[in-house]
Amino acid sequence: MALDAMPLLKRTAKVSDRQHAIAISYLANEVTLEGAAASLFRKLFPHLDGKKGLGQIAETIAEPAPRVRALLEQLRTTGALGFFDDSGQTITGKEFYDLHRRYCAHWLERVYQHPLWQKLTTGTATRAQVLGFAFEKYHYIEGAYEHMAIAAANATPEMMPHLAEHFIEEYNHGDIYRRGLRSLFPNDVVLRAQPLPTTRALVNFLSESAARNSFGYYAGNELLQMTENTSDPVAGGSIDTFYDLMRKHYPYTGKLIDSFIAHTKADQSLGHENVFMKMCASVPPLTRAEVKDAMNIVRMMAEHLALFLDGIDAHYATFPTMPRTPCTLLSE
Amino acid sequence: MAMDPLHDQYGLVRIYGTSRAADGNVTLRLHDRAVELGADEFTSYTRLAEWLPTGRPQTELEAELGMTRDRVERFVAMLEKSGVVYSTERIPARLTGEEFYRDYFAKFLPSWLGEAFSHPFWERMMSGKGSARLYTGWLFELYHYTRNANRHMPLSCAHTRSKPIKALRAKHYAEEWNHYHYFSKSLKALGFTEEDVRSSVPLPMTLALSNFMRQAAREDVLAYSICSAVLEGTTTDRGTYSPYYEKAAELYGIPRGAVTPIFAHLDLDVQYQHSDLFLEICRAVDTMSAERASLVLDYGHQLVEHIWMWTENIERYYEDDANPMPRRAFDPIWD
Repeated sequence: MALDAMPLLKRTAKVSDRQHAIAISYLANEVTLEGAAASLFRKLFPHLDGKKGLGQIAETIAEPAPRVRALLEQLRTTGALGFFDDSGQTITGKEFYDLHRRYCAHWLERVYQHPLWQKLTTGTATRAQVLGFAFEKYHYIEGAYEHMAIAAANATPEMMPHLAEHFIEEYNHGDIYRRGLRSLFPNDVVLRAQPLPTTRALVNFLSESAARNSFGYYAGNELLQMTENTSDPVAGGSIDTFYDLMRKHYPYTGKLIDSFIAHTKADQSLGHENVFMKMCASVPPLTRAEVKDAMNIVRMMAEHLALFLDGIDAHYATFPTMPRTPCTLLSE
Repeated sequence: MAMDPLHDQYGLVRIYGTSRAADGNVTLRLHDRAVELGADEFTSYTRLAEWLPTGRPQTELEAELGMTRDRVERFVAMLEKSGVVYSTERIPARLTGEEFYRDYFAKFLPSWLGEAFSHPFWERMMSGKGSARLYTGWLFELYHYTRNANRHMPLSCAHTRSKPIKALRAKHYAEEWNHYHYFSKSLKALGFTEEDVRSSVPLPMTLALSNFMRQAAREDVLAYSICSAVLEGTTTDRGTYSPYYEKAAELYGIPRGAVTPIFAHLDLDVQYQHSDLFLEICRAVDTMSAERASLVLDYGHQLVEHIWMWTENIERYYEDDANPMPRRAFDPIWD
């Protein structure tokens, strides 16, 4: 690390001074500095804004530059510290994949901790929320006809085979959910049912991203896949528990749950778990602007996914009409 | 699954509010009337409403209600007379654009706006349980919503084949495209810099509003125009919205400079008479089918639901002090 390298503490890193120690939390990690390291960090902290070189900072705080460098090197490995002059560099697809994985895990926390899961699994969700959950999942999966098609039609040459295959393999997955819903409602009612604005928001955001940035779209879609397409036995087990609890609390959902499970299996049978990793390994190095654009799509996708759950939770609690049939001239 | 005749013959009318009296009677508020049902009648109505969109046989409904077939049919006929269900036979096959506006949209709009603004956020803000932060967050999202007009208004011209309608839509765009400056000015009066405002990122539901408008613009110019009309309906009557801004300013110490530009914006909308635009557009439509009318109404009502959910998203995000304001884009160096 050169003396003119300009260290920058990430703005999402949280620093807690606990008198004898300093804790720095960043994404899912936390590092603790004690004793001399904590004292040195206290002096360094106000200068970690990416505007001053390492040598200048060392001089300002009257500390030997090698000592400052050693601490900063350690912090860099945690990800909580970067260097402003990194901005001109490109990153490899593999590095992007690691970055994507790290942030997705962090951004998906709000999705995994959403209060709707608690309501669904404890039997406190209303009938409208339970059936609404099934309908909205159907609308979201049926949305493949829109966003996956737009993605294929607007694909960059190198992404086209991936996006074409993606659409062809998944466009009819909505039918799996529709089979479940048909156990409760006529086919025509299911086909004409209206999605919530929050579900529409998720599908539209996918479509808009697909039209303008093939790689960013796929990176965003990968975040959604991470919540569905798991071969991890622990995660798979918790999904099974979720379905069991739904069957127990809402006996009328039996065939809906069958359709959920059938869809999860259909997704898993496609073996898509490693597609994104392979795709990242094959793309040319990405500029900072490309990484920024793709990662903003991914973050916004996570926010739309949380919004999708907010919609089911809040809308159906307030407006319990189910199913959401279309307007007519006399219905309003 | 074959449907029984009742499934096809009747539809449910939207209920905009329900209240129960001490004697158990329930009042249902429709767009044009209030209907009072006895406690047992209401229970039967609820069961009917749940059964109607299903494919379950009528015998199941009769068993649930404890009524014979004739009695169920008389009960449904009574509900039709009172206005809470409608006979699908009465839906006109075709109508003119002006009839659509006058006989349907204009009559539904007040109830739709009531639903859009029924979110508890408004009561919270007006009762002093809100905060300056919520008010400011709302302004940021209004800034983005207004700025995002540039993502959908021109698109509605591009996808329209009717010359008179595209001319009206283009004029509307020319008059509105830069109105986000009003909200930018308000935010600057609250201490934010031009850069803070310009580089901020909207909430997902704010973005969703403009994405939905883009979808409407691509599908049908009347679908787009009804959404635009619902949104204009929110600013038509200054008397309705001024108290919110006045009261919030007073309750949360919002400086005058942050409120004045909003009134200037509302006044400009009234001056342009944008609330009449949808009528002008409808007049350019000689005839439309019931199916198209249904699609257009669907877009209008979904826009209403977007506004409610937009409010929910704003409240949930900005009430949490840990969330950044303004929202910043992710940056691989800074984040």
